[in-house]
Amino acid sequence: MHRIYMHPLPVRVWHWSNAVICVMLCLTGIQIRYVGLINLMPFRMVVAAHNWLGFLLIANTFIWLLFYLSSDRIRTYHSELNPIKLFRESVRQFVYYGYGIFKEAPNPFVASIYRKFNPPQSMTYQLIMLILLPIQCVTGILLWDLTRYARAVAFFGGVRVVDTVHVLIFIVFVFYIPFHAYLGTLGRTPMEHFKAMFTGYEESDEGESTDKAE
Amino acid sequence: MSILRKVLVVDDDPVISKSFDRVLTGKGYIVVSAENGQEALNKVAKEEYDAVFTDIRMPGVDGIEVAEQLRAKHPWTPVVIITGYGSPDNQARAEAAGVSGFLRKPLSPEMIKKSVEAAISAVPPTAAEFPPVAAAAAQPAADGEQTAGRKVAVVFKDVGMFLAAPFIGLAYIALFPFIGLAMLAWTGVQAWRQRVSPD
Repeated sequence: MHRIYMHPLPVRVWHWSNAVICVMLCLTGIQIRYVGLINLMPFRMVVAAHNWLGFLLIANTFIWLLFYLSSDRIRTYHSELNPIKLFRESVRQFVYYGYGIFKEAPNPFVASIYRKFNPPQSMTYQLIMLILLPIQCVTGILLWDLTRYARAVAFFGGVRVVDTVHVLIFIVFVFYIPFHAYLGTLGRTPMEHFKAMFTGYEESDEGESTDKAE
Repeated sequence: MSILRKVLVVDDDPVISKSFDRVLTGKGYIVVSAENGQEALNKVAKEEYDAVFTDIRMPGVDGIEVAEQLRAKHPWTPVVIITGYGSPDNQARAEAAGVSGFLRKPLSPEMIKKSVEAAISAVPPTAAEFPPVAAAAAQPAADGEQTAGRKVAVVFKDVGMFLAAPFIGLAYIALFPFIGLAMLAWTGVQAWRQRVSPD
């Protein structure tokens, strides 16, 4: 058994602040969108909190972006360019999640420092971080001050379109967060990946890992 | 002459040389691997290396024998022992063989990078690396430009791949139902073939 330094400090700081911000954004968003469903604070205050949290999320995303743009760990987010390999590994991973895991089969994916996401996970994160999150930030800024950004809102098809896109992505995130936490429990012990996100180190069996570095 | 430094990694576990390769490639190094001591000695006999990193326990010629032979034949080549446990006896033998240092597992990229830099900077350039006097003055600048150019190219490639990733992901998602069905059909055909002619 040896340890792999999988999650550098900036990634851990970004991850946990992002987790807190996203959960709070979802809660305040639910109160704003579905009035009366939950009542965390007065409406005006919840709108202000949602706006401030949105700006914090944008700032936090820049921490993530700057770290990856300045580090060779950027390769973590590179695509598998061999489609046959990608589909074969994705199917194996789905079979594992849907069946093998209940039969205590070994996880077909072995992480290493530059390849820490399995193929479906990798595609999901690429889509979330590089498409959905930027769209959510842009639509959020537009909705934050409709008067100032009236022309941009009109360009994108009006308030209804911008609002619908923002809410649809919000719904994706609401379902994604608990799913992400559930997948986090699928290590060798339920807390293994959570601990690693605090310490930075993932445990790996000697000879099984594809990378002993870090 | 290239400014790229050549590092030989000797370990029967290919994971180790892959780790070196990942950490050092693109940073001015070429990593060559050997699975055992004999293969390492053959490689060193054919070409010069800037540093040799070797495991101790290997089938046939072990790491300390590699260090001893290199000490005799290529005394300018630094040898670093990669070790997991490092018994005092092995350590004494390795020190007697004149190794440049020890690298203890588990390895981290920083450890690999620092250890390689330390091993290489501790020795003067190898005999094979001495360029003709006239060329020597002009060479570092040209090599420096090449290295800088290569670094810029790597950064562009990395960032390009990073930005393209979600679009490639979207394309894969769009293709997934078709390719998934094709893979399912292919698996069915294979199963049917096996059933018809089990041999």
